[in-house]
Amino acid sequence: MNERTIEVAVTPQAEAPASGVERADAAAGAPKRRKCRVTARDIRRFAQAIGESCPLLDDDDESLLAPPLFCQTLAYEELPLELLPPDGSPKELDVPVPAKRVVGGSSEFTLYRRVRAGELLAVVTTLKAVRVKHGKSGPLYLLDVETQCTDPEGNPVSTEVATYVKRP
Amino acid sequence: MSDLTRFYRLRPGELSLPLPLPTLSLEPTAGQVFMFSAVTWNRHHIHYSDEAARAEGHQGVVVQRALIGNFLARLLTGWLAERGEIRSLSWKVVKSARPGRPLRCGGDVVTVEELGGERRLRCELKVVGEDDELLATGNATLILH
Repeated sequence: MNERTIEVAVTPQAEAPASGVERADAAAGAPKRRKCRVTARDIRRFAQAIGESCPLLDDDDESLLAPPLFCQTLAYEELPLELLPPDGSPKELDVPVPAKRVVGGSSEFTLYRRVRAGELLAVVTTLKAVRVKHGKSGPLYLLDVETQCTDPEGNPVSTEVATYVKRP
Repeated sequence: MSDLTRFYRLRPGELSLPLPLPTLSLEPTAGQVFMFSAVTWNRHHIHYSDEAARAEGHQGVVVQRALIGNFLARLLTGWLAERGEIRSLSWKVVKSARPGRPLRCGGDVVTVEELGGERRLRCELKVVGEDDELLATGNATLILH
């Protein structure tokens, strides 16, 4: 693997591109913002999906504490299937690089506190960087997507930077 | 005296490190992968279609990166038993896990620090599959109450 890595800071004001990577960078810097109410049902379903036991409380019970990585459920925008790429992968990864296959690579998750049922969270998702590595089998495009969750007062709840790998 | 109790009774310099964490053994099923896609609203076809996953060079349906992280989180929260919290958790998938195959999550506590009245543990983690094949590496910072 050629260790040379091009790192591109993503900003909405990126200059005119000279390569596919930089074009992706210029197109995808704007953060997406939305607000999400967490319900006991959301927490219960997430807990069951990761294989944890969870008390069967009523949906209006606000004492239920979510598993640590619960905010992963808020990472992807809830778009209809027809607005996703043909492979159904998240729209957040739909950047104009010459690569179609994508797979999750790594994550850095910072947890400031646990989430409880009933909370209203502000979610901001941003494509932070697009990097390319040149290997023997061709280029790999690494997409760093950050998901920040805060409470209504702006206090941080969690931040995840997930890196996805796209290949031709 | 349990391993976790030792962290309360002994000073950091008195602890013998690295301290192995208990192993979490599990076997994600196709149903679990499907449920995790549903709750995260992840419609990517490599997580539900063997045919689509093979067409992209995988051996079959792929267990989500995010679900692998939750297995590591379960390992840590199970060990902490409500006497501490995860402050950070990082992991990197080095080989795709597949449903129907056994996994083992484990690791070690490698450092213990006292910072501002808190006891902070740093852990090195890994997920292995059959024949000890490495599937993911990770590290975590824990705070004890």
